[in-house]
Amino acid sequence: MPHTAPPRRSRPTGVLRTSAAVPAAVLLLAAAGVGAAVAAAPDAARTWTGATAATGWLCLAAALLVHHLLLRRARGTAAAKEAEVERLTAQSAQQLAESAHLVNVTVPALVTRLRDGAPADDTLAKTAQPSDARLRQVVQVFASAMEAAAQRAAALDAERLRAQQALADVHEEVERLTREVLPAAVAQVQDGSSADTVLAQWGLPSSSPLCEPVDAFVRELAVSERRASVAREASAKALSRVQAKTVSMLADLREMQERHGEEVFGDLLNLDHSTSQLGLMTDRLALLMGGRSSRAWNKPIVMESILRGAAGRIAAYHRVRLHCSTKAAISGFAAEGIMHLLAELMDNAANFSPPIDEVHVYVDEHSAGIVVTIEDSGLKMAGAAMRRAEEAVSGKLTDLAALQGTRLGLAVVGGLSVRYGVSVNYRPSSRGGTGVVVLLPPQLLAQRREPGPAETAPRRPAAPAAPGPAPSPAPSVPSVPSVPSVPEVHSAVPEVHSAVDEASGSTAVRPAPERPAAGQPAPADAAAGGADGPARSAAAEGPGLDAPRRPRSSTPNGLPVRAPGRTMADAERERDRRQASDESAGSRGGPGSAPSPARNAGARFGAFHSGRKSAGGADTSGTGIPLPDPPDSDSEPPAP
Amino acid sequence: MTRKPVDTGDPDRLYMITGGRTRTDDSFDLVTLVVTESEPTAGMQSEHVRILEMCRHPTALVEVAAEMKLPITVVRILLGDLLATGRISARHPPSPRSAASLPDTDLLKEVLHGLRNL
Repeated sequence: MPHTAPPRRSRPTGVLRTSAAVPAAVLLLAAAGVGAAVAAAPDAARTWTGATAATGWLCLAAALLVHHLLLRRARGTAAAKEAEVERLTAQSAQQLAESAHLVNVTVPALVTRLRDGAPADDTLAKTAQPSDARLRQVVQVFASAMEAAAQRAAALDAERLRAQQALADVHEEVERLTREVLPAAVAQVQDGSSADTVLAQWGLPSSSPLCEPVDAFVRELAVSERRASVAREASAKALSRVQAKTVSMLADLREMQERHGEEVFGDLLNLDHSTSQLGLMTDRLALLMGGRSSRAWNKPIVMESILRGAAGRIAAYHRVRLHCSTKAAISGFAAEGIMHLLAELMDNAANFSPPIDEVHVYVDEHSAGIVVTIEDSGLKMAGAAMRRAEEAVSGKLTDLAALQGTRLGLAVVGGLSVRYGVSVNYRPSSRGGTGVVVLLPPQLLAQRREPGPAETAPRRPAAPAAPGPAPSPAPSVPSVPSVPSVPEVHSAVPEVHSAVDEASGSTAVRPAPERPAAGQPAPADAAAGGADGPARSAAAEGPGLDAPRRPRSSTPNGLPVRAPGRTMADAERERDRRQASDESAGSRGGPGSAPSPARNAGARFGAFHSGRKSAGGADTSGTGIPLPDPPDSDSEPPAP
Repeated sequence: MTRKPVDTGDPDRLYMITGGRTRTDDSFDLVTLVVTESEPTAGMQSEHVRILEMCRHPTALVEVAAEMKLPITVVRILLGDLLATGRISARHPPSPRSAASLPDTDLLKEVLHGLRNL
């Protein structure tokens, strides 16, 4: 400590001063003693005494001198040592201070600067260096090590950040992939886009690690989607051909049933039944494959026919008991679907009940629609089975992948029930088996109209008119016109007719069963084009036939209008004929005197003729059934 | 895709109408006249109802078949049902005794000729 040094330095000087005065005082006292001894001594001894005293004083003086010299030397040595100690103390204090400075100031500053990335040399130059070489060395070594460590730490930190960033990028990409890209891409692929299109829109940059898996995934998905859709389309197409064949077979069979007699009738009915079952199976597959039903009705179908059409398609039709008293009819657009739906449910009921028990089908009409209940007396369905059936018929499982094995019927029921808004529910039957309750909503029901005279009448009397001067465009018009030997009868008929008509036109009201026949176009219409059918039936249901139909044959300016599928010459001919018939109708009192549906001579003749033929089984031409309604039934023949 | 075929017939198959029966009894021939004996009741098959309505006046079987657009065999089965339950009665027209009792063909031709000349 610096402040302790001055007292130490002052003390030896005091010692030195005292050490020089003491011998001098001793010598003076001794000299005084010698003088006293000499003076006191007798004279005889004075010489001796004086000599001895002088000698003694001299000895004392010498001893004191020697002592003084020795003392001075020792004091010099001690002072040197003192100075040395003092120097060393100062030095150590300085070093202590330096090291403290080093520890407290320099090193933290170094650490801070080096951590901030400053180079070691600059940092060392800027900080105060300790004076000690070793400490300097220590500081340098520390600085360089610290620099290296800082550099490594910085490098590692950067690397860590990079890795973290990359991880975050990948995470974000995966997130985007799962949230947006894949659903959109899957939806697009399922909509039929090609894998390349989808990848061009949604594909990831090739640098992304997910690029390859996504690419592979989308391509594989596109391939399998395409495979599925091709398979579906191919089967739907193939099935549509089978369907068409089935329908034409059914038509042929029906024709043969008309034509041939009793001896082959049973066989024909068996064939008919097998073909109908084939139609059900084909339709089932076609509907599952996204195809259509094989048939489409262009007129309302009464419930009884719906039920019979449905029951006729299943194998065990003779076990189905129909209890139908309603006269309601299902609109044409829904009729086929409803028939198929009921056929599937009846098939199910018949298949899962003992082969001797009957399946009962009840129809009730409510304000909520028509309720069809199909009850079997088989085993009660277990809870799980009933749940599965409910789920299948609910239409929620629209994917083919949800199908179970060969249980396809209920899935078709589900699709149809969704399409037509029909509700299908299973419940235990009071007969011991399972009941299915089908509610057909009112919008599927055909409008019920009271049949009026105008609705049913005008088609009938014209039966003999067709073979008149205007030949029907269809060559397949049934046997009545093709009989060459009866022109006289025909020419006489219209007058007979109109007479009958005038008599009974106002009172003859055909009951309900006539109505479907009135709305049903004759075969010639079907030949002229399916589009003609609904228009025609709409016209037939109108109040007056002439008014709605006239615009179809000529424009207001008198130009002929050609119906689809007809030649212009036909249209022209019909226009002429229509004009003529208008005149003749006017002369007879107009269309108000609608003819009656009473059977007339021509119809009778036709009936006998065809009946004779079909009974004989020899006829091979035409349908063999007399059609009282040839296609142009609403036009009158020109006056002869 | 081709246009949907539009059906113009009926969805009923004949075996559903006859209930699967294909054989008829011989109580009807083509010209047997059929007369309704009772009114149709609720719950009857619609073909039976139609026959009963149609045959309020005596009607020949073949006419019924033509009117209903059904084969003769089917109508025979249906009429057989109605006859069995007594809802109709069938009457056979007097059968021609022999070919000799019929008018001579030449005579008929002359009548026809005369009619044409009217």
